[in-house]
Amino acid sequence: MLTFLVIVPVLLAVLLFIFSTNITAKIISIVFQSALFVASIYLVMITRDAEVITIVGSYDDILGIILRANSLSAIFVMLTTFIFLAVSVYSYSYKDRRDARTFWFLMFVLEASFIGLFLSGDLFNVFVLIEVSTLVTVILAMYDRKKRNIFHGKVFLLANVVSIQFYLLGLGYVYRITGAMDMERVTYALAGMDAGNLLLPYALLMTAIAFKNTLIPFFSWTPKTNIYRKSPTVVAAVLSGLQAKTSLYLFIRFQEIFEPIAAHDLFLAIGIFTGIFGAVMAICQSHIKMILAYHTISQIGLITVGISLGNEYAYIGGLYHIFSHAMFKTTLFLSSGIIIHSYGTSNVNEIRGVFKRMPIVGAATAAAVLGIVGAPFFIGSVSKYFISSDVGPLILAVTIALSLGTIISFMKFSSMFFGQSELRGDSPKAEVCKSIPVIVMGVVCLAGGIMGTQFIYFFFRYSVGIQIWSYAQKSIIFIVCALVGYLIYKYVVKGNALLSRLGAVSFGFKSVCASMGIFLAALLLW
Amino acid sequence: MGIFNTENLEIFSLALFFISFFGIITSKNMIKSIIFVMLIQTAVIMFWLKLGREDTATPIPPIIYDPALLDYMERIADPLPQALTLTAIIIGFSVVAVIITMFNALYRLHGTADWKKLEEVEGD
Repeated sequence: MLTFLVIVPVLLAVLLFIFSTNITAKIISIVFQSALFVASIYLVMITRDAEVITIVGSYDDILGIILRANSLSAIFVMLTTFIFLAVSVYSYSYKDRRDARTFWFLMFVLEASFIGLFLSGDLFNVFVLIEVSTLVTVILAMYDRKKRNIFHGKVFLLANVVSIQFYLLGLGYVYRITGAMDMERVTYALAGMDAGNLLLPYALLMTAIAFKNTLIPFFSWTPKTNIYRKSPTVVAAVLSGLQAKTSLYLFIRFQEIFEPIAAHDLFLAIGIFTGIFGAVMAICQSHIKMILAYHTISQIGLITVGISLGNEYAYIGGLYHIFSHAMFKTTLFLSSGIIIHSYGTSNVNEIRGVFKRMPIVGAATAAAVLGIVGAPFFIGSVSKYFISSDVGPLILAVTIALSLGTIISFMKFSSMFFGQSELRGDSPKAEVCKSIPVIVMGVVCLAGGIMGTQFIYFFFRYSVGIQIWSYAQKSIIFIVCALVGYLIYKYVVKGNALLSRLGAVSFGFKSVCASMGIFLAALLLW
Repeated sequence: MGIFNTENLEIFSLALFFISFFGIITSKNMIKSIIFVMLIQTAVIMFWLKLGREDTATPIPPIIYDPALLDYMERIADPLPQALTLTAIIIGFSVVAVIITMFNALYRLHGTADWKKLEEVEGD
């Protein structure tokens, strides 16, 4: 059954590419994405009780390549299909997309490679699928020929190719130690092993994974964020909503596999720095997509903190934050696409009066913003509540600092909701097709907050209670943070030349690669 | 064969890996970076080839187990790394093809292959 989830998108993509016209390609892809979404929900339902295993090619389980869906990977698959469904509805009305067939062919292949990545039980297949998804992502990011995204796309691709060589080398060491490629077998073989032998493969593999995660010792945010600037809106949404999630999923998986040696403390520290750094850089930006891109890095830091803390609440909170981040970030990217089209500019300082021009889309965007800053009753508040529910004062201070940074950076973003602007773009009114996914996901941002415990129970079969008193406490902290953030924004950030110069800092390909070497050395010495 | 035998292959491949990594970090020309990326792929593939020809945790190749063939099976190479190496070669080849195509487009656009100049032109 799992094979179909991976192979059907590719087959359909090929068929559509050969036989269909542009219009039918769009319609068929929407119908198909809905079907795939339903199938993935069914997968989530059944994997809550038992793992689903498919052995490809009807060999026995020693020889065959295994696809394995447990409750974790099923959720990621569901996220993938949901976001691709939203994106396909969104791009239905694209008029300038003359070759929708090619675009959808690539999108389907990307989706299949993501699903395959989440379901794969084999470490080598993970390598193959990472390569496929990187390649397709880069081609999609350069899709708008007028914008000439070639240079940033090339840096992104080259850096990823170099990082994946570390993965492959580390994989070789894993194979030498365990004689296996299958994740579960490797976990089993490594379980009782001396940490000293595992250091080299762990360091090599984690270098690649942490690079993909854009964790801080890398200047890897440079290719990652630069590629957002000129890529099409839907591709940016998929990049931020999903590509970041694939690396997080691999991070979780590899920390489990290398349990005897997993450096939780190191990654906790790295996560904290990544979070703060991403928020600071987001404050400095004025390009609407760049704010969101740096924000993704900050949120990845927070998720890494949640996963590495080592207590169960924070872990669940981190996982739930992955879900919520995918929701609000996709909403924000899609709605920013609508807004850019409507105003004809991507500079946040020039866009004003979104609420007035398109009230419903504006409201959905506002819901996503409230979700990302962790306002009470919205989706981000629940996950942040769990991450910081059972921690020491240091981590608590860090999470509060992180939400403060988030709030400040979104002050700039939300200032575009109000006011008055005469700027006109191609399509001043929001189109229906583009609005639908934004609105639906905005509603999910609200629902995921109000019914947070139900959502968590549905996903993880883990019943948690939110204590009213401490939730109220967190809400008060949030309101204080919001006030402080507003004051800081008004008197410090606004029009600060130093900050905008800091925001323009970006590293070349060579320093990006050098950071990989530094990180590898740091892990080996740890 | 001297020092170029399979015993030393691991050291050679690791040396090549880090030499080409150093090359990637330091080369000023984009074409040279691409060449070093190809070299680093070759280094990894060399390492994988070594894996197939040594006593790993599973000395017997994972094919159908037959006691009668035990002597024979212990002498042949592990087929799994070889199969995976082939896949890695194909993937590396196609990625490099895409990279070179992109380089071509960039070169036509700006007429230079120098990293510094390109970063000045493109980075804003």
